[in-house]
Amino acid sequence: MDCPTCETMVDAYVDGELTASESAAFERALEGCPDCRRRLEAARAMSGLLRELPAEPAPDLLRARIERELRTIAGASRARLRGAGMRWGAMAASLIVAVSIGWLGASLVGKGGRETDELIAGYIRVAMSEHGVDVASSDRHTVKPWFAGRIDYAPPVYDLTREGFPLVGGRIDLVDGRKVAVLVYRHNQHRIALSLWPRNVPPNRGRSPNRIPAVSLTTPSSSSK
Amino acid sequence: MSDAPKPDGGTVGRFRSVVLPHLDAAYGYARWLTRDPVEAQDLAQEAMLRALRYFHSFRGEEARPWLLRIVRNTWIDLRKRNGAEKLPLEVLETRPAEGPDPEQSALAGDRRRQVAAALAALPAESREVLVLREIEDLSYKHIAAVLDLPIGTVMSRIARAREKLAVELKGRLERRDHGLPDL
Repeated sequence: MDCPTCETMVDAYVDGELTASESAAFERALEGCPDCRRRLEAARAMSGLLRELPAEPAPDLLRARIERELRTIAGASRARLRGAGMRWGAMAASLIVAVSIGWLGASLVGKGGRETDELIAGYIRVAMSEHGVDVASSDRHTVKPWFAGRIDYAPPVYDLTREGFPLVGGRIDLVDGRKVAVLVYRHNQHRIALSLWPRNVPPNRGRSPNRIPAVSLTTPSSSSK
Repeated sequence: MSDAPKPDGGTVGRFRSVVLPHLDAAYGYARWLTRDPVEAQDLAQEAMLRALRYFHSFRGEEARPWLLRIVRNTWIDLRKRNGAEKLPLEVLETRPAEGPDPEQSALAGDRRRQVAAALAALPAESREVLVLREIEDLSYKHIAAVLDLPIGTVMSRIARAREKLAVELKGRLERRDHGLPDL
């Protein structure tokens, strides 16, 4: 091995990056090369000094800041899921609130208009009838399985009791000829019905799923019995 | 990253167990890159959040080099944002250099302080490769991944950086022995 070669291997040798045979060749070359021996000692010394430096752990403040961010992000994602905004992204766009049976179409401005009317009409009929829920339970583990076999997808059923929206039950509506899962939650004196369907299969095929992805209707309990 | 999936609770949970344990390493590297404890915290935090956003592309490789690479790229971006790249390197590198403050006591403490100051005084290119090798204890392969360089380049940079450190340290110790103030 000539000296330029052994010179380039000094640091790799210190760092244990040479193969066994390379190391052996380097050590043999070193015997006849005082320059490289000096280099080796210098490199080892620098390595040793740096490794004596105490590690400075992340400050508690930094750790706390990151923890807070992570909790916020995880919390926001849970909120998105509750709003069914992730896989059920179809739901987020339209939230329609009718304050009474005499709800105003004008309050729906910008969110679908005529197409939405069809869906709303179904809600109003339902709200006026006795047809509140087909499965009455505040337990999501009762409501969710109830949909199995009745519709061809599994809607997410969330327990929102702590958020002030206890589950009332579920039912199946017919929207545009397709069965749609409806969850009914209660909030104070109001009932809130959520229609849920997978984003990739909008119930109103042929129309933009973004136009009327979902509807939630609140009616006073007096008129929603 | 606008088309990247938003991290959900499960992702955050996996991130906690896979990446978060390397926060000390991320901060340590940030500390030596910035040479400023406050900037280092900002950099480490920004890098951690970026890592979470990129976590969907994490393929189960070693998490520490993966994270340190993000720290480095974040640092470069932050410097660009702050217009630091417009300054000549000399100006950047002659800022008051101050490494992590080791124990104050005893001769060992003094030597460590000199070593830390010498390391902090090195140009970023030499400084970071030594930090990755000696303090983060990464292999050449992992250093190459962090710096996005061929292994051969890593090897020659380490050799050069050790030489620079030796010169810097020698100069400091001589100044000290002659009662001259630190640079």
